[in-house]
Amino acid sequence: MIIELLIGLCLLGTVVVLVSPSRYAPRLAAGWSLLPLVVSLLMYAGFNGRGNALLGGQLAYETMVSWVSLGPYALNWHVGLDGISMPLIVLSTVLTTAAIVSAWTPIEERENQFYGLVLFLEASLVGVFAALDFFVWFVFWEAVLVPMYFLIAIWGGPRRKYAAIKFFVYTNVASLVMFIGFFALIFGLGNSIQSLDMPAIAQALRAGELGSTGAIAPSTLKTLAFVAMFAGFAVKVPVVPVHTWLPDAHVEAPTPVSVLLAGVLLKMGTYALLRFNFTMLADVAQQYAPIIALFAVVSVIYGALLALAQQDLKRIVAYSSVSSMGYVILGLVAYTVYGVGGATFQMLSHGLISGLLFACVGVMYNITHTRMVDDMSGMADRMPVTTSMFVAGAFAYMGLPLTSGFLGEYFVFLGTFGADFPGAAWFTAISMFGIVIVAGYLLYAMQRTLFGSFSLETDYGADGVRTDGGENADEHLESEADHDVHRAAAHDIVPLAILLALVIVLGVAPEIAFGMIRDAVSPMLAAGGAG
Amino acid sequence: MSVAEASTTAFAFEVAPAIAVLPLASFVIALFAGKYFPKKGALAGVTATGGSLLLSLWVMLTVAGGAYYNEEIYTLVSTPESFDLHFGVLLDPLSALMLVIVSLVSFLVHVFSLGYMNDEGERGLPRYYAGLGLFSFSMLAFVFADNLFMSFVFFELVGLCSWLLIGHWYREDAPPSAAKKAFLVTRFGDYFFLIGVVAVFATFGTATFAGSESFPVLAEEALTDGGAGGELSTFGLGAQTWFTVLGFLILGGVIGKSAQFPLHTWLPDAMEGPTPVSALIHAATMVAAGVYLVARMYGFYALSPTALAVIAFVGGFTALFAASMAVVKRDVKQVLAYSTISQYGYMMLGLGAGGYVAAVFHLMTHAFFKALLFLGAGAVIIAMHHRQDMWEMGGLREKLPVTYYTFLAGSLALAGIVPFAGFWSKDEVLYEALVHGLTDPLLLVAYLMGLIAVFFTGFYTFRMVLLTFHGEPRTHTARNPHLPGWNVKFPLVVLGILATVIGLTNMTPVAEATGLEIEFLHTWLEHGIEGLNSEHYGELLETVAGYSAAELSPLLAAALSLALALGGAGLAYSLYSGDRPDRHTDRLGDARTLLMNNYYQDEYQVWIAETFGTGVARLSDRFDQSIVDGAVNGVSSVSLFSGGRIRRIQTGIVSNYATLLTLGLVALLLVVGLTGGWFL
Repeated sequence: MIIELLIGLCLLGTVVVLVSPSRYAPRLAAGWSLLPLVVSLLMYAGFNGRGNALLGGQLAYETMVSWVSLGPYALNWHVGLDGISMPLIVLSTVLTTAAIVSAWTPIEERENQFYGLVLFLEASLVGVFAALDFFVWFVFWEAVLVPMYFLIAIWGGPRRKYAAIKFFVYTNVASLVMFIGFFALIFGLGNSIQSLDMPAIAQALRAGELGSTGAIAPSTLKTLAFVAMFAGFAVKVPVVPVHTWLPDAHVEAPTPVSVLLAGVLLKMGTYALLRFNFTMLADVAQQYAPIIALFAVVSVIYGALLALAQQDLKRIVAYSSVSSMGYVILGLVAYTVYGVGGATFQMLSHGLISGLLFACVGVMYNITHTRMVDDMSGMADRMPVTTSMFVAGAFAYMGLPLTSGFLGEYFVFLGTFGADFPGAAWFTAISMFGIVIVAGYLLYAMQRTLFGSFSLETDYGADGVRTDGGENADEHLESEADHDVHRAAAHDIVPLAILLALVIVLGVAPEIAFGMIRDAVSPMLAAGGAG
Repeated sequence: MSVAEASTTAFAFEVAPAIAVLPLASFVIALFAGKYFPKKGALAGVTATGGSLLLSLWVMLTVAGGAYYNEEIYTLVSTPESFDLHFGVLLDPLSALMLVIVSLVSFLVHVFSLGYMNDEGERGLPRYYAGLGLFSFSMLAFVFADNLFMSFVFFELVGLCSWLLIGHWYREDAPPSAAKKAFLVTRFGDYFFLIGVVAVFATFGTATFAGSESFPVLAEEALTDGGAGGELSTFGLGAQTWFTVLGFLILGGVIGKSAQFPLHTWLPDAMEGPTPVSALIHAATMVAAGVYLVARMYGFYALSPTALAVIAFVGGFTALFAASMAVVKRDVKQVLAYSTISQYGYMMLGLGAGGYVAAVFHLMTHAFFKALLFLGAGAVIIAMHHRQDMWEMGGLREKLPVTYYTFLAGSLALAGIVPFAGFWSKDEVLYEALVHGLTDPLLLVAYLMGLIAVFFTGFYTFRMVLLTFHGEPRTHTARNPHLPGWNVKFPLVVLGILATVIGLTNMTPVAEATGLEIEFLHTWLEHGIEGLNSEHYGELLETVAGYSAAELSPLLAAALSLALALGGAGLAYSLYSGDRPDRHTDRLGDARTLLMNNYYQDEYQVWIAETFGTGVARLSDRFDQSIVDGAVNGVSSVSLFSGGRIRRIQTGIVSNYATLLTLGLVALLLVVGLTGGWFL
């Protein structure tokens, strides 16, 4: 029942914060978010699952209750955790608390609604990672969109409406495509399943019980379903070329929302790929491994190159997420312990590190009101602690050893280089060049913004409202940073420090997470893709 | 061996990880509490590295007693189905020697920093000492690493420390830029190294250096026994070819870190860092990491004559190439930087030519005399109130006698004048290159380049000494230098003595002439774990790589290189010894311009980076904005959300969206439900 407790706490928190006065909302929300955080940590400590959730493993904290019966299919409330979902749940609760505290400074209106939505988002995210019934899972999956949409559209930057609509439509269309693909499989399975239970579906598919639907042969059906589902989830990840909603959403979203977007929402995509495409249709994934790997490599290199071309710190981090998530795909396709396990570890690691970097950019933005690399230099003198965090986070992103960023990528490389699919070594070697490009743009950005002599020149007014370029370009407001650039408040720094500490702990003692991940991943590989 | 002896032996090895952990503790203390201490973290650093030095000496003594150590100490990841990733400690004659070198230089540099940083009233001292502590930790752990994965981990960490310390004076523009360049250029090399590490795992399933299950041993078995090769996956290539490819990949990291052509360009820029940092990181230790790595896994490189030949050729070329640029430099630290590149070229030449002992010997002597020269330059820079142009100096000999005589000892060692340290080691490198080169033309060319570089070395070294210390003072500052304190003199004296006498530990030509058993380093490195000593490497070179040495007296080669060194020194003396030396390099004309601009190496590398990095990035960005995102917007504008409608929806109230979403979901479920027969 503890998963229900976790989700219930988040939902109750949503209600409590929504009805509380805005004045108290920030602290109340932060305090409340500690409850699910503590519960999830206790769950982590007491985790006793074995094996893979979809492949007959022993689940932790499982609940299975019959709910309703619709036609031939029973809909059940089925939740439970294995070594893949458990770390992702903790990632969600940790990042939610971090995001809430880092929102104290920038969010200055309608606080109760903002924090209420964040807690609702948390509930949905936990649901996505815990659900094992397709219907339940899909409800949570779609429910994530709602708070995210409003968080961008209400508290976002100047082009928030465009970004929010784009995010919403893009991911919703993707959900539709995925949904169709998945249901094609359900119909193909016919009478061999009695419910939309994901483990049952996965095992039926792997046992080769897929029949033909209409005139479509099972193998063709599998492939088509794989493509549809891959396309749907790829938008969420995002994989090039369906990534363009991401930079817009990130740039317009308030920074705490970016923390959650990059930190957890993107992992929904890779998590779903892992569960659906790479577990249920492992044989198709292996058959088309080189093509999938090609998508991964293009994401890594092209994403990194795009990051290199940006001037907005948030855009840099946003595009670099495209690059980092490419490694996840590459690891998944390898079908080795280090490959798939590394991909999962990289999800975790990237969640923490990209959250850390976005939060750092946010702290700097709160004070300087700009994110443009050209607008500032020498921040190190004014904001030494934030600078240290930024530097540490950036090096973790570059894959510095003894941080989780290194191990995530290293596991993936290790797992993929010797993988069975044709050209694995080449794909790996090419994608590794990402580590050079990432160093290029992050070092460049740091050199320009943090070091050198101090200066701040923005085209933002002192009140933080952007005096937009374009038609008013002539009235460029060249305010030589009079608004005082000062050290960030302690509550802005604490979330950064905690995220950084986690990044280092995972980098030094990866077994804390990798142990359970490995255990959950192995059955995926051992069973192969029968049929 | 008695029981009591055995237990102390084990104990020395068991505390060996503390050699690295002590400086890690000083890093933590300096970082978080440095500002509360009187010397801002320096004392923690001095104590920690002093402790590391004592422990290293203890380990060295224990190793001298014939005991070795090769143990896992920490497992990061253990995977039953696949390979483990672990940290371990490998203590044998090579690593014990290197531990002493690194901890000694680190200790002396910490002491020197008291004079260079604290006494000069620099800011950011806790950060500085934290950086030094972290560096010492990483470097020492790199040295005793027992597997390639751990080597890579700490190889990268020393890169971070280098970045931190080069950019110490971050308020100025040049240091952060130089730090970035250093990290990026070495990262480019590390890219290949990383592929190499991963490929070694994929090929052998292990990356340990020593033992019967280590990758050099497995590779050797694959080549010599034939049968075992079938078990290794060599990615469609022949075993020998694949091992050569692996060797090249790892060599990428070596060339980056040890500043070999063409990835040497970061090192001269790295001189923007504080001078003690240059001495520790960019002369004696971190730059040595690359060469040390080749020495560490020499059993693997000895299997591939092609890789060895390339190492030798790159080394010989770099030695000459860098020495030629040092000839015209005005900044004393620049001269030393190019000299460092050149000297590491010699070590590579030695390794590639099959002179394992010679290269390690030169690594050791160079660590001492180059650290000495950098610290001496640091003392001069203090004296000159942070001016580094040699043309503003002159006549410092009388004012700074301790600095002068120690610097002179270091210079004689660098130039390779008998009996200073560099003579013995450089001579042995050249001798090895020559005897093996007589049977292999590629090695012979490498040898000749190294030999010519000796002349340049003698020249630029004494040009530097003469311009700095001799003649009349050329500026007001040079007439009234700032006198250094004990904390500057003490490290100089220790290193000065070492630069003078350390070469006597391995006087090969004398041993040859007299028949005495005085080649102590040869003896030292002959021992060690099975398959991990110079004797075994020699066998491999002969049997697998097909190296053969010609018979030649070492005296002849020694005389030749000494004559060239003296020639270079003599030319420098004749040109620059007067009270008011002329700027003779101006007479070189276009050649001088070429040399001053470092053969336009930076220019072409910047061009490559801009064209293939920034240029392609901009194109990609434009492509992404117009084509990829344009397609998305195009699709959406002809679909339900056409441009006009988006605007209308956007002006609506937010609950519209919720309705829209709910409707969409319901519609979807209805469609599926109807077709799926839920409602039948």
